[in-house]
Amino acid sequence: MNKITTIDQLNEIKKKYLAENGKYKFNILVCGGGGCVSSNCQEVDDAIRNELNALGLNDQVNVFQTGCMGICAVGPVALILPERIFYTQLTPKKAREIVNRHIVGGEVCEEFTFFDKSLQRFVPCIDDIEFFKLQTKLVLENCGMIEYDNIDAYIAKDGYVAAGQSILEQNPEKVIVEVEKSGLRGRGGAGFLTGVKLRSGFMQKSDVKYMVCNADEGDPGAFMDRSVIEGDPHSVIEGMILSAFAIGASQGYVYIRAEYPIAIDRLKEALNQAREYGLLGENLFGTKFSFDLDIRIGAGAFVCGEETALLASIEGKRGEPKQKPPFPFQQGLFKRPTIINNVETLANIAKIVRNGGQWYSGFGLPNATGTKVFALAGDVVNTGIIEVPIGTTIGSIIYSIGGGIPNKKQFKAAQIGGPSGGCVTKENLNTPADYDSLNKIGAIMGSGGLIVMNEDTCMVDTARFFMDFIRDESCGKCVACRVGTKRMLEILEKITQGEGKKGDIELLEEIGETIKLTAMCGLGQTAPNPILSTIRFFRNEYEEHINKKHCRAGVCSAMFTSPCENTCPANINISGYVSLIAAGRFQDAYNLIMQENPFPAVCGRICTRPCESKCRRRGVDEAIAIRDLKRFVVDYAFKNEMPWKVQMTFPKKKNMKIAIVGAGASGLTCAHYLVNIGYDVDVFESEIKAGGVLAYGIPEYRLPKDILQHEISLIEEEGVNVYLNTEIGRDISFKQLREDYQAIYVSTGTQFPQKINIKGENLDGVIHGITFLKQIHLEPNFKLRGTVAVIGGGNTAIDSARTALRIGAEKVIVVYRRTIDQMPAYFEEIVEAQEEGIEIMELVAPLQFVDDGKGRVKSIECVRMELSDFDSSGRRKSVEVKGSNFMLDVDFVIPAVSQYADLPFIGKNEIGQTKWGTFVTNPENMMTTMDGVFAGGDIVRGPEDVISAIADGKKAASSIDLYLGGNGLLNKGQKIEIPSVYDDDEIVYHKQFDKEMLPPNHRKNTFDEVVLGFHKLNAIEESMRCLHCERR
Amino acid sequence: MVNLIINNKNITAPEDSTLLEAAKQNGIIIPNLCYLEGVHEFGSCRICSVEVVGAKTLMVACMTKVKEGMVVYTNSAKVIKARKVLYELMLSDHSKACLSCNRNLTCELQKLGETLGVEENRFETTSCRTEIDKSISITRDLSKCILCRRCITVCNEVQGVGILNAQNRGFDTLISPAMDLPIGDVKCAFCGQCTVVCPTGALRETDSTEKVWQAINNPNKRVVFQTAPAVRVALGEMFGYPVGTSVTGKMAAAIRALGVDDVFDTDWAADLTIMEEGMEFLHRVTDVLADKKATLPMITSCSPGWIKYIESYYPEQIPNLSTCKSPHMMLGALAKSFYAESKGLDAKKMFVVSVMPCTAKKFECTRAEMQNDGLKNVDEVITTRELGSMIKQAGIDFNNLPDEKFDEPMGFSTGAADIFGLTGGVMEAALRTVYAILMGKNLPFENLHVTPIVGLNQIKEATIKLEGVLPQYKQFEGLEVKIAVTSGLAGAKILIEQIKNGTSPYHFIEVMGCPSGCICGGGQPRSHDPELRKKRMSILYAEDENKHLRQSHENPSIQKFYDQWGSPGCYKSHEYLHTYYVDRSGKNN
Repeated sequence: MNKITTIDQLNEIKKKYLAENGKYKFNILVCGGGGCVSSNCQEVDDAIRNELNALGLNDQVNVFQTGCMGICAVGPVALILPERIFYTQLTPKKAREIVNRHIVGGEVCEEFTFFDKSLQRFVPCIDDIEFFKLQTKLVLENCGMIEYDNIDAYIAKDGYVAAGQSILEQNPEKVIVEVEKSGLRGRGGAGFLTGVKLRSGFMQKSDVKYMVCNADEGDPGAFMDRSVIEGDPHSVIEGMILSAFAIGASQGYVYIRAEYPIAIDRLKEALNQAREYGLLGENLFGTKFSFDLDIRIGAGAFVCGEETALLASIEGKRGEPKQKPPFPFQQGLFKRPTIINNVETLANIAKIVRNGGQWYSGFGLPNATGTKVFALAGDVVNTGIIEVPIGTTIGSIIYSIGGGIPNKKQFKAAQIGGPSGGCVTKENLNTPADYDSLNKIGAIMGSGGLIVMNEDTCMVDTARFFMDFIRDESCGKCVACRVGTKRMLEILEKITQGEGKKGDIELLEEIGETIKLTAMCGLGQTAPNPILSTIRFFRNEYEEHINKKHCRAGVCSAMFTSPCENTCPANINISGYVSLIAAGRFQDAYNLIMQENPFPAVCGRICTRPCESKCRRRGVDEAIAIRDLKRFVVDYAFKNEMPWKVQMTFPKKKNMKIAIVGAGASGLTCAHYLVNIGYDVDVFESEIKAGGVLAYGIPEYRLPKDILQHEISLIEEEGVNVYLNTEIGRDISFKQLREDYQAIYVSTGTQFPQKINIKGENLDGVIHGITFLKQIHLEPNFKLRGTVAVIGGGNTAIDSARTALRIGAEKVIVVYRRTIDQMPAYFEEIVEAQEEGIEIMELVAPLQFVDDGKGRVKSIECVRMELSDFDSSGRRKSVEVKGSNFMLDVDFVIPAVSQYADLPFIGKNEIGQTKWGTFVTNPENMMTTMDGVFAGGDIVRGPEDVISAIADGKKAASSIDLYLGGNGLLNKGQKIEIPSVYDDDEIVYHKQFDKEMLPPNHRKNTFDEVVLGFHKLNAIEESMRCLHCERR
Repeated sequence: MVNLIINNKNITAPEDSTLLEAAKQNGIIIPNLCYLEGVHEFGSCRICSVEVVGAKTLMVACMTKVKEGMVVYTNSAKVIKARKVLYELMLSDHSKACLSCNRNLTCELQKLGETLGVEENRFETTSCRTEIDKSISITRDLSKCILCRRCITVCNEVQGVGILNAQNRGFDTLISPAMDLPIGDVKCAFCGQCTVVCPTGALRETDSTEKVWQAINNPNKRVVFQTAPAVRVALGEMFGYPVGTSVTGKMAAAIRALGVDDVFDTDWAADLTIMEEGMEFLHRVTDVLADKKATLPMITSCSPGWIKYIESYYPEQIPNLSTCKSPHMMLGALAKSFYAESKGLDAKKMFVVSVMPCTAKKFECTRAEMQNDGLKNVDEVITTRELGSMIKQAGIDFNNLPDEKFDEPMGFSTGAADIFGLTGGVMEAALRTVYAILMGKNLPFENLHVTPIVGLNQIKEATIKLEGVLPQYKQFEGLEVKIAVTSGLAGAKILIEQIKNGTSPYHFIEVMGCPSGCICGGGQPRSHDPELRKKRMSILYAEDENKHLRQSHENPSIQKFYDQWGSPGCYKSHEYLHTYYVDRSGKNN
């Protein structure tokens, strides 16, 4: 092969390659990226070739392997041109079928194409896939599109033209100027201006200079550089040639970690090809400029990504950083001026020189131009490699490109910048991914690792993980990093093991700040970032670990028996009662639940069951039906006998009186526990029935009245006095209450409907949700008719809709301004509602309720909404689509957006309240700012679930006892022996066992209970599915 | 000069100076630990961190160069806090057995804690390094190592031996020979320079005092002490004397007060060495001039660290070494033969202790060939530091002792012997005698000092042209004797590489294993006085100059000895005063 010395020769090669390629009818591009290699893309490639061979189609179809296409989660993948059909999760069998149906038959095998989980459909054409649509590929332009192992393919994409022209013109200045104009900043993490770097390299006076490529990508979960080298090695080589030419270096090194064998092989091959063409070696393009490039393989020490340590490693020394200055550009490799750039930075250079710096600066932001490649990993649907213009928000990267969080879990945080970076929380989802914005929130751009974490991630444990990594990777040269990281890790380990103590957080901050200030190199200076960042955003989680020995994510297993119990606000011994059910001891199971929760029948029906979301069985097939098992034992106990009373030991009377305001779940729970440790308890309820929102806010078909009243009556039988129809402030003054009672527990809930505040809200026919539900309760014969629109997406909205349907509405429409999957209502309630024929109109908001001229609502003026950026809860905001207004004719409207609290009996200035009207309480003991007055449930939390209200009531009972001089121990009855029912046999896959339910067409006209619960045999079987995480 | 502001004070400093230096020159002390002026600028302890306005992090003063307009705070609250936390971290990985540590009250880490006003110790100690590695010469206690790495710099860069280095990574880092072998199992020269620079008790000489105490307290033992020339110029530092004080008389008195029977002076043996080595040199040159087989250049053999080094790394160059034992070995050999006979003592009951500025001599005295008549020439070697400790242990009021003299017959020495303790001294002493013998007149240098080889440069050389030699040595007429002197093994390596490559122009080379020679040997008191080397050197020269007799062959005691013994280089001399060497290249140690 003749050495290339002219641009014409390059053009010749391009022409020839394209002509060769043009002969084929189809091109099949099989992804040969690292991810697909590990999912056996070679088998798929072989299968395609063999099948084409067998069919004699070799001359019509060109099959070749490319670098990473990006969407590693669904590998192995292949792209068929010219139709641009993108096939995913291939197997040899599928591949053969595709050859036959697609290539031979001309039919797209849709079921093998990309499945969009949020759209719930297949998207065959690559250009229609959201993941690809929103990306801008400059660095990755060739990656996944050309043969990685053919220099001609690179040349056909105008490769080496930039190098050729620059070298032939003998004008290094021009290269530097273009890079300067482009505004390119180093992609390795620090974001130093590449042009400035090249310029300073150029200015150094030295007979020998070096150009070094840093491919020591070491962040856990990051594989951008690897993908570039594997998919488009020549772009890096050309970037190196241009940079070396700019600074006047004749030798270059690519320092790459040994853990990247594929990248090393492909790069070696590319270097050989470039040498063969004379693009590396002596006298490039026939000029005096010589440049050669060698690979240096690093042993995989993270610190060797730090430039001075990297250089030491190339020199054959211990990979340790040096104090800067002198900087490498002054005194680098072998004490000569050396410029070091990261792979991605270098991969940009040729394009910048070819298209001009001006062109490049058109992408991204003014002070952070171009694009950035990110490695999306963790709890995100589309894991893989992406490239976006700098400044794209983290939220759109995660949700729009990444497809959001799988398994309906909540987004918690994203770690950006690896172990040197920080976390981005849901409040910061609109933060643009650029150097400065990320710095502001304590994170860094880093090299592009982006690890998404869901609600099941413990932030303390995450911090511990990163610190463990850093401690392991610290080189040990300077005290700050060597000992500091070890001590921080030890503290974090103690915290996650439940041995944290007061002052630990402050100590972590103190060491962290010291390390940041005093460590020698970048590794050390950024080592505390994940910890400081998680403390900044999740300090409460640290505090919970230390003060309450509680890990809300259910990760730090030293602090709990099982994830379900850990998650239950009331700490019910779930694994215990599941074991008892499996052993057939239903009565004991009931008693065990009653120890922690006096409303098991209620919770067995309407609990939000946070426990099930953390059930480890989810990882196998499906969570244990914990709530339904609870309901089963309660129903069983109620049917058979009432053992609870018998079991209780009658407490010694203390002769102290406690008043409880509000006979809801929280108040009654508190009363139950207090009376059982000897207090006299009086409960005051303004309504005519006890139960609070359970009684009038939840429709009968979900929670039958007699079930609720039965549980309340059990509490009354224990000696609790419930005074109905007695309103504090009207019938008894609060002042009187404080005089007569030693302590007061306020649990009045949030009983007032929040207005939407639009025109027409006072018209006839507009009934607010909570008022509506209450009315049904008090006036059983209340009827609706015609079309009923419900506004809102919470449980009250869905309850109102389903109730409306049951009392005569012909058509019920739920109008919600976001999408269905963002509705806060229980998922199964939404499904059941839809089954009953209720229409849900998503992305619609009411503008006004229109008068029929007689003071009655006639229609709603609505507007279509669309999703935009993220709000502080991590949900996308919905914004109006201008001009999309329409009228919705209705007979009734039920706005059900939220509730608020308003307590006329306590002056707003007398007691600490939040701006939402809820009480401020001491989180340690639930006391309000008023001495002896405790509060809990929704009046403190705002509208929340019943199990939290119960948990509050229980905790308040303990706190009140402590307040009144007791020991705070509650009387929960006798200890119940839990049988060991461990099954050491292998797991049998089985989803939840079936429960009995009323059919939709039957239930929509009655208030009969919809869910009928487990059959006894199914309950036992269901309980046997438990994996028994409590085993240690 | 550069203008900058430190702690709101305008100062100027030479370009290229560090913040630490600039501050110091202006009366601002910045605490530091790992830094060792002129030797170790490494930045591992971060204690000298200071605030430089505009910098993202604190900057280490020991390695940050001054810049025009720099604004620096060396004592802001931020800096003081950071230093304390760093100190606490360092302490958390350090054995806290201060009260039972050899370095108690001389520990730099301990002193730093006091300087920084550290009052907290919030971390439980979990150190991965617990083992104690005891070799003949050097003991390593890694539980006390703070990884400042001074020892590594000294071993690798100053001495060029490179047996110590950092192993493992991060918190598991430890300083050790390769593969964590015991230091006695690798080709360590035992020069002990690492023990001098170690700021804590992690590196020290292996203790020999216990055995010496036992001998002194054994009524059946006649204990003979001898002290090397360099000991007397440094021992005083351990008793509060300023660096550069000679305490010869007090030292002799103190040793006697320990209960020692004979207090001899290794200086006497130094004079003797010159006689033996001078003769050996003359013989070699004579043989070469007569085309007979002899190896040149001849290299001095007084420095046991150097001997072990050449045996380990350049065994093929062993023939270049003088066969003379080192002076204290000669003295030991003679104490148990010549002296014992003359006094009618039972040599078997004699216990010879050498007080040396050297750790390698502990190894040397255990060498199999260092014995005569079945008795070790020297039984134990203690360092200057160990002698100081013994004097303290014995409750001797050193500072108020009257000066005493060494015992005869091995107590009198010439000025030539004094300068044995410093680089160039052995060569100069040898030249004085050899020249006088050949020429019948004194060396033609002012004050008898061969000026080109005086001083602290790494390699020094001189040429002395012999014109007008005595008739019996006429074959030397016109010879230009080329000599070289080096101290420190890195310099020795350069000279020996020349020999190995056949490019060495020299006839005679003096090598001392420690930089500056024995005055800064591995067993000397540790000091950070920047003028230390010069001060110690100047006293030895003064001792020399203050003596009436300054050439070894003029020592009447030596002359008297040879009257009874024979002549330099005689058979008996070869038996007792010369030795042979071992190829240690194939094995460790």
